Amino acid sequence: MNNSLKKSRLYLLGLLPFFLIAFLFEILPLANIVVESFSKTGGNGFTLEHFFKIFTTRLYQQSIFNSLWISIFSAFIGIVIAFLGAKAANAASIKIRNIFTSVLNITSNFAGVPLAFAFMILLGNVGILTLIGKNYGIGFLADFDLYTINGLLLTYIYFQIPLATLLMLPIFGGLKKEWKEAVGILGGNSFHYWFKVAIPSLLPSILGTFSVLFANSLAAYGTAYALLSNNIALLPIRISQQYVGEVVQNQEFGCALSLVMMALMVLSILITNKLQKRATGGRS
Amino acid sequence: MKTKTHVWDVIILLLIAAFLILPLALTFFYSVFTQWTDILPTGFTLSFYAGIFSDGAFINSLLRSIIISFVPVVICTISILLVLYVITLYVPKMEKYIEILCNIPYAIQGVILAAGVISLYSGKPGFLSNRIFLLVGAYCIIILPYVFRGLKNTIGALNVQCVIEAAQVLGCSKFHAFFSIVIPQMKRGIVSTMMLAFTMLFADFVVVNMIAGSSFRTAGIYLYQTMSKSGQTSSAIIVILFITTLIISTLTMIIQNKQTVKGRKS
Repeated sequence: MNNSLKKSRLYLLGLLPFFLIAFLFEILPLANIVVESFSKTGGNGFTLEHFFKIFTTRLYQQSIFNSLWISIFSAFIGIVIAFLGAKAANAASIKIRNIFTSVLNITSNFAGVPLAFAFMILLGNVGILTLIGKNYGIGFLADFDLYTINGLLLTYIYFQIPLATLLMLPIFGGLKKEWKEAVGILGGNSFHYWFKVAIPSLLPSILGTFSVLFANSLAAYGTAYALLSNNIALLPIRISQQYVGEVVQNQEFGCALSLVMMALMVLSILITNKLQKRATGGRS
Repeated sequence: MKTKTHVWDVIILLLIAAFLILPLALTFFYSVFTQWTDILPTGFTLSFYAGIFSDGAFINSLLRSIIISFVPVVICTISILLVLYVITLYVPKMEKYIEILCNIPYAIQGVILAAGVISLYSGKPGFLSNRIFLLVGAYCIIILPYVFRGLKNTIGALNVQCVIEAAQVLGCSKFHAFFSIVIPQMKRGIVSTMMLAFTMLFADFVVVNMIAGSSFRTAGIYLYQTMSKSGQTSSAIIVILFITTLIISTLTMIIQNKQTVKGRKS
């Protein structure tokens, strides 16, 4: 217990607030989710009944399926649009590119409940485009049903585009003009250039972007909740329903659902890492 | 090779920009007209904005949003600065463990974090089940990865060891040197990180809805409750919230740009 030793360790106090917060609101809740998912409802004792229920009940199977489906599709379509956008912006003049980037930056803030509302006045039952469709006999506008999983997909694609394009823009800066010229000298056309040179070299970054977008839509809640309330089979909605709302609440079951969602999240990160390694592995 | 803008590129950019701007612009127009039953709206009015600002409930919810977003940002920033003090000057080995802790929130986004926090603390005695306390704690975790990365990049751009050694030669303690020399140099980085974190929390709906619900009405919750009552009032609220976010994020970008310019000069 000598004094200088005590004094020299005093700096460790600096870690205290951080560890306190991380322990109380990250480690403990996380550990608790794992423990409670295997606990009987309202009591103690080990059980697998929650997971059995999740994987055998139609509603929860559908929720997992829908969550994966909407996340994969919105991420994929988002990437395709972002690819075209970033490619066009990269080829455009600096002035146009700056304006485009500003639009992306501004609209990337538009998500959640406000986004759902904007789509309601655009394409809802009495939405403006819906009315125009009805008045002028444009079938696909008049009959568009926003309050379905396809309608939800459209709103998800909306919030994926700015994020995806902002992530893809810097990647395109890495493509060298010499490559295109080299392909030309070797007798290739722009098809060869894009599919044999450019896209393979962009692939690791595209996969990274895909992973970010996937997680982004898997965790999205506000838009779906504002649009469809609890009337949709989607993982985040089913989880929150176990804690708020009029249905009988079941905390342990909510934890089990959360654990499933977390597993999907981690799985997507691991798969992307693996694919990224394979995509870069061949060349480096 | 000269770059020239192709027509196709411009068309693609225009289409994407139009799709992105349409819902946003429409929400704005919706908030300043009384009727919209054909292509063009009729009856220009600002009464919905006047209504919102004379409604104390909205102002209160906005203030609640600002405070509940600001407090966790301050707590989280101070905690991370202290951590950086310890790991840059005393135990660099610890950095990788801290980094893992700061990256876990990516996997427990939104609904999972809220579920974990309520499952654990609801019904517990004393301050632990206080909804505001839980909300502040959960918010600290949401922004943790972003605050950590932002501040770490800022401190990484400075030559901390050198500055501290110079200060010690002049008879200044490490602690004093860190907080009176290093941190003031990080000012811009700290401010822009804090603003980014603030806009993230300001836009939150899922965590506040699950942890506090209607017992703590933030602007997001207020908007959700207004949606079923009045379309125009809701769109006016959206416009106000959106402009608030826009101002903060524009300021953040200005600060960040100045920082990089300054960094390049030196």
